[in-house]
Amino acid sequence: MKIKKLWLATILGAQLAFASLAADNTDTNRDADIEALKQQINALSEKVETLENQRVVDHQAATNSADGQIQELDQKVRILSRDLELDQDAAAVLAKTQPKLIVGSSGFSAISTDSNFVFSLHGLLQVDSRTFFDDSDIKKNDGFLIRRARPIFQGTLYHDFDFRFEPDFGGSSVQIFDAYGNYRYEPWLQLRAGKFKTPEGLEQLQVDANTSFNERSLVTDLVPNRDVGLQFWGDIDGGVLSYAAGIFNGVGDAQNSSNSAFENEVEFAGRLFAQPFKSSDITALKGLGFGVAGTSENGTSSASDLPSTTGGTYGGYTTDGQQQFFAYNPANGSTIVGNGEHWRFSPQSYYYYGPLSLMGEYAISDQGVLNTTTKAEAYLRNTAWEISGGWVLTGENASFNGVTPLHPFDLHNGQWGALQVVARYEELNIDNNAFPVFANPETSASAAQAWSAGLNWYLNKNIRVNASFSHTTFTGGGGVGTTAPPIVTRQPENVFFTRVQLAF
Amino acid sequence: MKIFFKILLTFLLAVAANAKEIKLLNVSYDPTRELYQEYNTAFDKYWQAKTGDDVVVSQSHGGSGKQAQSVVNGLEADVVTLALAYDIDAIAQQAKLLPADWQKRLPDNSAPYTSTIVFLVRKGNPKHIKDWDDVVKPGVIVVTPNPKTSGGARWAYLAAWAYALENNNHDEAKAKEFITKLYKNVPVLDSGARGSTVTFAQREIGDVLLAWENEAHLALKEFGVDKFEIVTPPLSILAEPPVAVVDKNAKRHGTVEVARAYLDYLYSDEGQEIAAKNFYRPRNEAIAAKYADNFSQLKLVTVDQEFGGWTKAQQTHFADGGIFDQIFQPQN
Repeated sequence: MKIKKLWLATILGAQLAFASLAADNTDTNRDADIEALKQQINALSEKVETLENQRVVDHQAATNSADGQIQELDQKVRILSRDLELDQDAAAVLAKTQPKLIVGSSGFSAISTDSNFVFSLHGLLQVDSRTFFDDSDIKKNDGFLIRRARPIFQGTLYHDFDFRFEPDFGGSSVQIFDAYGNYRYEPWLQLRAGKFKTPEGLEQLQVDANTSFNERSLVTDLVPNRDVGLQFWGDIDGGVLSYAAGIFNGVGDAQNSSNSAFENEVEFAGRLFAQPFKSSDITALKGLGFGVAGTSENGTSSASDLPSTTGGTYGGYTTDGQQQFFAYNPANGSTIVGNGEHWRFSPQSYYYYGPLSLMGEYAISDQGVLNTTTKAEAYLRNTAWEISGGWVLTGENASFNGVTPLHPFDLHNGQWGALQVVARYEELNIDNNAFPVFANPETSASAAQAWSAGLNWYLNKNIRVNASFSHTTFTGGGGVGTTAPPIVTRQPENVFFTRVQLAF
Repeated sequence: MKIFFKILLTFLLAVAANAKEIKLLNVSYDPTRELYQEYNTAFDKYWQAKTGDDVVVSQSHGGSGKQAQSVVNGLEADVVTLALAYDIDAIAQQAKLLPADWQKRLPDNSAPYTSTIVFLVRKGNPKHIKDWDDVVKPGVIVVTPNPKTSGGARWAYLAAWAYALENNNHDEAKAKEFITKLYKNVPVLDSGARGSTVTFAQREIGDVLLAWENEAHLALKEFGVDKFEIVTPPLSILAEPPVAVVDKNAKRHGTVEVARAYLDYLYSDEGQEIAAKNFYRPRNEAIAAKYADNFSQLKLVTVDQEFGGWTKAQQTHFADGGIFDQIFQPQN
């Protein structure tokens, strides 16, 4: 606008000048004036041009400045964004350096950053009831009991060294069940030392929280429980083949080691178990497993290596209702001790497919014995077998490691967990040569046969409620009075079990 | 029963005898990913032909200083291939995983290849960056990683310092002033060289990246020559990234023999050729001549000459309270 005004003023000025010249007729002065005016006009034109150029320059400078500022701002935004990104990366890296604390259905675990150190706390609580029917001759067997109350501490040190410590507060006294260290070179080559389950009975090796019934079958009467020793073991190809071979102090059938034993003899134990289709595409056979296991101990043993004669913690051969029905207790009161070789052999198998579960096991316990009074000797071969099966009514998969409900119990959402029916048949047969020199036929039965049926309700992965009924009949035995074993052996045993279990 | 145990024992021994695959962990610095990917394949073929065994080499990469600290803290490297000798010295001194004289065990101070620091600028070089003086001008945004964690950053820092000394009659005060100006132009400090490449190339931050020579070439290859240019300054530093077997780890893993062979093979013709193809300057003169076009000629100073060795350089410049701590002020 200023430039337009300037032009207007210039033109008006020129017109006035020319008008003035017209009035003045003096030629000399006129030329000089014209020249002066021309110069003024040129000067004005130059000023106008300069101003116009300045305006262009100013505009360009303003534009450049704005671009520069935009670029500068753009860089600042990018830098801030990258700083944020780097901060987030640093936070993620820092998080990785912090130990992880995991709380879940599998217990409590603390894991070091590099996973080389792990400490886990697990637990098992089983609250049972046993109710005996038609037991007019036997009283005081019914009741509630804490069957197992075990805090379980386990973990890993320096990546390759595992440990487990499992005491039990469930009995009348505190016992150590598992207490061992394990070196894991590779999954297929491991070395375990301490107190742990002897590699023998299939059902015995199943963890307590996952057995189908409250009590294991009669087969478990003939295999060792925990013992102190050293064992090489491993899972090859992810468990397609598992092996264990170890050396132990040696314990009597169904016995749990008292943590020490000072004798000249040791027991060798070994087990091979195959799941040949575990990694295959044959779905129907993936859950098939079978194997053999055995133990061998040679030499004279103390009476403690035999099933207990008095019941109690080491109950000898007991029924499903945990009532002793056989003991090495001849009528003349002689002490019976182990004498010579004691070996066991157990072929075993299971099959899991969808909701179906089957387990079968046979066991021989061949025991040399000596009557210390009469000096009579014998090798007694006791045998037992069982077959059991189950079906998960709610459709979940059954497995050796239990059942995980697809829809955990939640009344608000109409979910009830998983329901499984189970059944079992079992037998245990005592060598006939045991009677009467090594056992009293009046008080000890020569055989027991039992069937059981039950219902397992898995509320969730951690809580389970069981109810089952077991009926056992006996051959022989059935003495009177209170002499151990109790006289429950003279009539069938009918027991109703319940259990509430918490395991994590 | 005895037969049963014999069978078990035989079976056990047979299982043990069949284990064959050899695993190695190479803990390296940031920009060597591509180099060792190619090299590992070549070495596996070589070793398989020689012994019949497979070698599977796992790689771990990050800022050289950070990587060294990870090994000190338990990362079970069989071999380390880091950016500078000081970082391997730290492993030897702090964790005693290899002897202090490790650098004498292989030729050329255990550095089978060398490199240097160059400038990566945007296409057309809009800020006209030709030499170190241009990098410290106000308004130039410089991208380089943190010398506390990155070996490449330490090499770049020392290259700039060496330039300042050369151009200021070895006046340390002026060199410090120069390096202060340089880091005033650095708005972002990544922890490693690869992170800085991402900052410069992908996040489009800055005017110049102080880059490993091989990393600069890789950026051209990956992002295109139409986006960036490499500017080689007249003076830079001779970077000698060293390699070493981490003896105690390798012994524990039973990999000593293969770990040694793995590093020895870096000096072979094939190893040197792979290094040259990945823009590392090979030690082998014939192969260096063959790939001469890959590498610009420039004056290269060494840490020993200019700084009295890595230990002294580390203490003076990069240790806590050192010159870098004195001159660098985070901008955010």
